[in-house]
Amino acid sequence: MIKLTNISKSFGKHEVLHQINLTVEKGEVVVILGPSGSGKTTLLRCINYLEKPNEGQIEIGDFNLDYKQANKKDIHNLRQRSAMVFQHYNLFKHKTVLENVMEGLVVVQKFSTDEAKRKSIEMLEKVGLGTKLDAYPSQLSGGQQQRVGIARALALNPEVILFDEPTSALDPELVGEVLDVIRKIAKEGITMIVVTHEMGFARDVSNHVVFMDEGVIVEEGRPQDIFGAPKEERTKQFLKRITSEWAYSI
Amino acid sequence: MGGQFDIHYVFDFLPKLLSYLHITLLIVAGSILLGLIIGFIVALPRLYNVPILKRVSQVYVSFFRGTPILIQLFLIYYGLPELLKLIHVDTSRTNVLIFVIVTYALHSGAFISEAIRAAVNAVDRGQIEAAYSVGMSGYQALTRIILPQALSISVPILSNLVIANLKDSSLAFTLGAMEMTGKSQTLGSATRHFVETYIALSLIYFVISTVLERIFFYLEARLLRHERQIIEKERSSKRWIGWRKREIARLEKGVDPH
Repeated sequence: MIKLTNISKSFGKHEVLHQINLTVEKGEVVVILGPSGSGKTTLLRCINYLEKPNEGQIEIGDFNLDYKQANKKDIHNLRQRSAMVFQHYNLFKHKTVLENVMEGLVVVQKFSTDEAKRKSIEMLEKVGLGTKLDAYPSQLSGGQQQRVGIARALALNPEVILFDEPTSALDPELVGEVLDVIRKIAKEGITMIVVTHEMGFARDVSNHVVFMDEGVIVEEGRPQDIFGAPKEERTKQFLKRITSEWAYSI
Repeated sequence: MGGQFDIHYVFDFLPKLLSYLHITLLIVAGSILLGLIIGFIVALPRLYNVPILKRVSQVYVSFFRGTPILIQLFLIYYGLPELLKLIHVDTSRTNVLIFVIVTYALHSGAFISEAIRAAVNAVDRGQIEAAYSVGMSGYQALTRIILPQALSISVPILSNLVIANLKDSSLAFTLGAMEMTGKSQTLGSATRHFVETYIALSLIYFVISTVLERIFFYLEARLLRHERQIIEKERSSKRWIGWRKREIARLEKGVDPH
């Protein structure tokens, strides 16, 4: 279980997150929706300590941390429990696909090279890249790069995988292959928090939808409730705008 | 100036000058190695934004980039001993080569620090975040992710520096250092065939520069093997050379290519 309590974050005078409380059950697939600038990516980055909230606590399984008093060891422990899949993949460009996945296992989790290799190959096969082990990221398509990013996160065996708009930087025809992989691992029962604009995906795969706007959680619930019968006016407006955009897309 | 031009002197001088090649290379290698260490140390406060040290490194860099190397040689050779005298260090018996290497090291250190700074900044922020995200420490991210990439980015700049340094080392003769150019002065005075010594000298500098250029080119290609685009560019330039050769052959045969 992951529990966020009273997370607040400001950049200068601008408050991006205002006292966020969120509970995610083990094995849940949470989708965070919201207009740009609503703080959803920042919230995700706080869980991985890529941003430091001004205040708040986080609990992942039996580990908990107060952001105000976090020391290096706490940060390390928090990062061990979460793994991030980035919008722009952020693969290590000077390393091969296999090395990208192995890096964290060998350097951080102190696996032996053989063990790390075996596990990395297994993960890469899971995302359908078993034949690209020795390729460099620059030789792959965006969709393939993102699948390496997913394998890298999976290999670390985290309690939760955080997806930060994993398909936003992709060509439309490559979105499907990445969503298929995410869908596949969602079925394995790994806890996931996904920030996305893919409404179809949110509806199909998630079992918990969170709608954020202007740094607060406006509404959350089961996908059929949020999409079918949103209670809040802002949620209605947002969904209407997104679905009407769909109607015009070619 | 001197006697009748005689090409034989050029061949005569080549081995004599080459026997001082190791001194020239010692200056280059010593100053680049020392310069790398200085450059790395000087780059750090600016990369990590350390308040006062940042200012100091900026002043150092702009001084050594903004004054001629010849003046720096004179300043270090004549000025440094005076300063050291104040703290009772006697340098009158120190080998002139030490002063030369120190000057060139300080000079290239300024350029190297800028190269390192630019190269580190060129590694994208996202990869550093990814490194932190998989749980690496700041030191691990620096040594395993940033520096290897920064190094390959900075190879072309370093290559320029080494070659410039090789040529600049010829100025060391003004302090009486006996490297290749220094030797050429004495050869010229003794035989009164200055032009021949200069021809021999430029041949040697040219060949070494070209060799160094090739070495760095291969080093760059090797370090940047993860960049597909570079390889493609190389291929296309080879293709162009091939086309040019065919075209020249055709023109020589007198066949209209069009």
